[in-house]
Amino acid sequence: MISFLLFSIKRAWQGFWRNAAMSLAATATMMLMLLLLASFWIVQAGFLASLSYVEDKVGVVADLQDTATQAQIDDVTARLQAMPEVRSIEYVSKDEALKRYREARAAQGQPDLTEFLPNNPLPASLEVKLRKPDDYKTIATFLGAESIVDKVQNIQDTTDRLVSLTNFLRTFGVILLAVIGSIVLFIVINTIRLAVLGRAEEIEVMRLVGASDAFIRWPFVFEGALVGLFGAALTLAVLLGAAEPLSQFMTGFFQILPISVGSISRDVTILVLGAGLGLGVIGAWVSVRTYLIR
Amino acid sequence: MTVSTAPDARPAAAGGRRALGDQRRPVLVLNDVTKTYPNGRDALKDVDLVVPEGDFVFLVGASGAGKSTLMRLLIRDELATQGTVTLDGDDLARLPRRKVPHVRRKVGIVFQDFKLLPTKNVFENVAFALEVTGTPRRRIKPAVERVLALVGLTQQAQQYPKQLSGGEQQRTAIARALVHDPRIVIADEPTGNLDPLISWEILQLLLRINELGVTVLMATHDADIVTALRKRVVALEEGRVIRDEVGGGYHRGG
Repeated sequence: MISFLLFSIKRAWQGFWRNAAMSLAATATMMLMLLLLASFWIVQAGFLASLSYVEDKVGVVADLQDTATQAQIDDVTARLQAMPEVRSIEYVSKDEALKRYREARAAQGQPDLTEFLPNNPLPASLEVKLRKPDDYKTIATFLGAESIVDKVQNIQDTTDRLVSLTNFLRTFGVILLAVIGSIVLFIVINTIRLAVLGRAEEIEVMRLVGASDAFIRWPFVFEGALVGLFGAALTLAVLLGAAEPLSQFMTGFFQILPISVGSISRDVTILVLGAGLGLGVIGAWVSVRTYLIR
Repeated sequence: MTVSTAPDARPAAAGGRRALGDQRRPVLVLNDVTKTYPNGRDALKDVDLVVPEGDFVFLVGASGAGKSTLMRLLIRDELATQGTVTLDGDDLARLPRRKVPHVRRKVGIVFQDFKLLPTKNVFENVAFALEVTGTPRRRIKPAVERVLALVGLTQQAQQYPKQLSGGEQQRTAIARALVHDPRIVIADEPTGNLDPLISWEILQLLLRINELGVTVLMATHDADIVTALRKRVVALEEGRVIRDEVGGGYHRGG
């Protein structure tokens, strides 16, 4: 068994270099396809992060009656907390609201006129962040029914539009990824098939001298894996080289987004290595199969 | 057992070469074989053929008479539509797929176009047949050297096919066919690409191999060779055996 493995790996290595032109062409194709897949994956990840960033902004803001007691507020907060749709709740007191208003005015360079007011006109409020923006209505209805709530700020229309847009964009992204994935699959498998086709004579001789299927198949499968691994390594090298200038360009963009570059590069590494290895092996397996089954 | 239906078959246990031609153990038995291709054409029709061990048989006939189809049936590249093909006691139609390679190792095949691998030298081309069948490395070198000596290519062992003459290439192919110690060598027009003098060289080699006890079945167009050697001749025409005689010429009564 071990000698068979060694034999297959040795034959794969020899096969790769003795047909260098074909092998390198296959490796180059593999690299370009993996690069396409990886770039799209990265764009998709950034895109999804942007979408969830925007969706995070959706929340229900309920202005409270000035008469609401701390006990009543605590009660509503506790019941909200128990709801699965709710991610977080922030209580903004009247003072806090005034402070935020002043800061906002100052940031816009407008004079602060609130000091001329006899008292603070701004209501205290509960700002509820949602897990999914689709749940806006549920929470808005719940809050509207509470006696201490003066009114729920209505952004239902905006939310609906946002939800339908983000859902569309997500679906579109998945479809596009599937399409690109299929294109990559077919091109890579066809390239490997061509490389195997160029060796039809060798396979024919192996069959005629009585080589068993395993002895014919595995060297080619290992060779396909070799093409996949080389292609993946080259792809990762290119991505690594491009990462530095690209991330400087994108810094501003990434800073506001709740995504970690670390997890993306880990995912991409796994994707590139897995896709390269998988496509190489599947491509070789399928291509050799044609010659084995008679 | 299918073999027993053949007129001159004996139980395998009887084995070994016998002085009486028809009492020898059959290596190859075709019993009422018909091969119909998907397009409906009968490439072979009701073919009966028994080749005893140690025989030298010429298979003659025009192109399209069914020689190539017969060859493909023997190496189980194709299966007979009807009838049975038995090789060294194995019914090829009933052979499980994983056993096919083992049966092919009992058959040495030689082609008109040699089918040598251009990226390997003579030694490697012959050794290849052993490597891909899982022969331990220490057994490969002596076996290859032995057959190369037999075909007279010891000096050329390190040369590549394109550096060899046609005759040398065919001898390499014959060495490769022999390296498994086959029961039978099947040669499909082995002299088809060679000039007459070299053809005779190849024939001498096949005869010597035959003398060593290997059964030889050779398909050919070469009337001079067939007529001169007076071996057993099986003639095919439109898929039927029209003549099977020992000591015959290429043509009837030739």
